[in-house]
Amino acid sequence: MNAEKLRDSFSRALGIPAGQVTDDLAYNSLKEWDSVAHMALVVELETEFDVMLDTDDILGMSTVSKAREILSRLGVDFDAA
Amino acid sequence: MLLEGRVALVTGASRGIGAAIARAFVAEGASVCLCARSEGVEVLAAELAGSGRTARAWRGDLADASFGKQLISAIRKEHGHLDVLVNNAGILRQGLIGMTSTDQMRELMEVNVVALMALTQYATRIMDARRSPCVVNLASIAGTQGMAGVAAYSASKAAVVGYTLASAKELAAKGIRVNAIAPGVIDTDMVRGAAGDWYERQLQSIRMGRIGTPEDVAGVAVFLASDLSRYVTGQVIGVDGGMTL
Repeated sequence: MNAEKLRDSFSRALGIPAGQVTDDLAYNSLKEWDSVAHMALVVELETEFDVMLDTDDILGMSTVSKAREILSRLGVDFDAA
Repeated sequence: MLLEGRVALVTGASRGIGAAIARAFVAEGASVCLCARSEGVEVLAAELAGSGRTARAWRGDLADASFGKQLISAIRKEHGHLDVLVNNAGILRQGLIGMTSTDQMRELMEVNVVALMALTQYATRIMDARRSPCVVNLASIAGTQGMAGVAAYSASKAAVVGYTLASAKELAAKGIRVNAIAPGVIDTDMVRGAAGDWYERQLQSIRMGRIGTPEDVAGVAVFLASDLSRYVTGQVIGVDGGMTL
């Protein structure tokens, strides 16, 4: 469920189809994921998962899988169905 | 009322300008979140809550970034958003250029600049463009004009001016207005504690012939936080009785 939320959050924030959100999708690898969109993504993730990211996390959130790793550390469970 | 339904965070709210801004905001209908290091902030919040408005206090040191993060997180949980951030918390350290230690310089920059920037990072992330959000930074006449005897403090407040202008440009597209107030000599504990005859000498340079009050500053803060200033961003408004004329 949270995996879907993560994918949908990326899709909304970057304005790309959900199918394009893969684990290895990387920051700056497509024009839709620039620095402005990155900040929109941060707000989207914070709202959706009720967390607050540190600046180091924001700077380090370079891929979708990295985002999952950061959110997991903040207590979001990606293993539950 | 000018701030009806608005949620505002005022830092350094236990006394002086911060407390006056908190009182003025509540009088104009805002719900206020107050923070400061000293217990005075809890006393003020209790007083304001007694008037039937929402007023909450958090005690902590904004130089500790984790406190700022917890504060914004708590406001989001309680209100869902923040409409107005007033970055008022700050310290003053006097000292001639040759008599200011690097520790004092770092302390001024850490509290007056770095803490302000870090809190702004978190706070603007829970602002909603549809609610006409804004940031009001407390700079100083020392930051816009420079002031002898407080060079390091002047530098820290000049940094606040620079940050205000840059963030106004960057955040305008998100509907967030950012302005600053540059008070002159205001009757607060911080200024009254100045050494020697500094206070008297400053008084002589005020064209309106009196020291400012915290309420003089609070009035401008209300204006900048309200929709009266909805097309105003990137401005540094002097509240100095004509000192800079």
